[in-house]
Amino acid sequence: MNLLNHHQLLDQLAASYALGTLRGPARRRFEALARDSATVRASALIWQERFASMTELQAGEAPSPNVWKRIENLVAAQPQVPARAVAVEAAMFDKLRRALGLWRGAAFAGALASVAAVLVGVNLSREVDSQGSQLAQVSRQSAVMAQQNAQLAAQLKATPDIQYVAVLADDKAAASMLVTFDPKNQRLTLQRVGAYQEAADKSLQLWALPPSGGPKSLGVLGSDKVIRLTAAEGEVREVPALAISLEPKGGVPSERGPTGPVLFKGALLRTTL
Amino acid sequence: MATDPRDIHLIALIDRIAARHAHSPSRPRADGEAALRELYDSTSSKLYGVALRVVGQRDWAEDVLQEAYLNIWRIAGDYRASLSPPMAWMGVIVRSRALDFLRRRASERADAAAALDDRVADTVAGDDPGPMDTTQASEQARALHECLRQLEARQREVLSLAYLRDLSHGELAQQLKLPLGTVKTWIRRGLEQLRGCMARFA
Repeated sequence: MNLLNHHQLLDQLAASYALGTLRGPARRRFEALARDSATVRASALIWQERFASMTELQAGEAPSPNVWKRIENLVAAQPQVPARAVAVEAAMFDKLRRALGLWRGAAFAGALASVAAVLVGVNLSREVDSQGSQLAQVSRQSAVMAQQNAQLAAQLKATPDIQYVAVLADDKAAASMLVTFDPKNQRLTLQRVGAYQEAADKSLQLWALPPSGGPKSLGVLGSDKVIRLTAAEGEVREVPALAISLEPKGGVPSERGPTGPVLFKGALLRTTL
Repeated sequence: MATDPRDIHLIALIDRIAARHAHSPSRPRADGEAALRELYDSTSSKLYGVALRVVGQRDWAEDVLQEAYLNIWRIAGDYRASLSPPMAWMGVIVRSRALDFLRRRASERADAAAALDDRVADTVAGDDPGPMDTTQASEQARALHECLRQLEARQREVLSLAYLRDLSHGELAQQLKLPLGTVKTWIRRGLEQLRGCMARFA
């Protein structure tokens, strides 16, 4: 049957295509037809335009004023750059934007580079929040952070066996600790990325939060910037989240579970997924 | 050529945002930022409504709105290449960001399906006419509104959800807890009636 001779059927298909309910092989056949025929294309475009107006008919509602503040800060945080660098800036910014969205939505792309971007994004947004209109300073910081981001990404790439990653954040979603796990070498690596430093008479303790049962200690953190702990894959696999609590110096026994406040937590993600 | 004064105003704002890339002294970046603010003030409640309709939760919708305006800030220069009214162009951006958001969540969270069920449980609650709002709507949107108004409320709801949330027959049936056959029938009849009606506005 030649669809072009069946105007009504063509219009029906175009409407279902644009609505999105035409699926599977029928959709692919329609797309192939549209590539061949301007009539089919036109029909589909008309319906796409019509349905696009559906967005205009939704009842409006004022968003929280915070949304504009976030947008303003993110826009302002873009460094002033010469025209030729705009594309690069846009790409960076895009990454940052996505990373922020990912972070806030608790979603995660899984790629190591994205993890680095999350760190930069979250730090940056926090910095920006607290500093309001000091744009020049923010721009400088953003450049520094971009550099750190690149370093971090390079560092992560140089460690090919990392299979698990977690970004632990405080209750304001500011990233404070990057955790990576290399099961082959049974090595958990923690990098402090926030400004937090515990008092001299306290220790931070890392906990696995298994799906059932209480938290299990993965170790007590030294005060260094980068901390290495040993853990078997069994202790980490299937654990959906990690947390860090503030404990007396030297930590507490695992069986008792955390006694101090949980300062940071975050989802543990397999990088290979 | 847009003749609606409101559309003309929105298009001018989008152009000013796009012009910041030119870095010409007469169009400083600050002007682009001011235009973005103005665009936000005049469109954010409508677009927030769209985001809310797609993702169903306020904090999610706010994330989506933020992404959408940053998106508009970056791609304002592309608007001129589109033939859509400005609100429809921005509405589609919001819908895309909202769908991205839901996909990311779905792929990320095992409990997303459960959350989704809660979220949409109240959407096709019966013959409630559903919110439709033509203030700020383009002429094209008014035509669609006129035709959708002639459908049964539940047909209109199912069509509007199918589009806004990009759902298949099966997904609609699942989310709305309706038999698949019912969903298919409503969509088919709704589309059929809509076709007849929209043809009059073509």
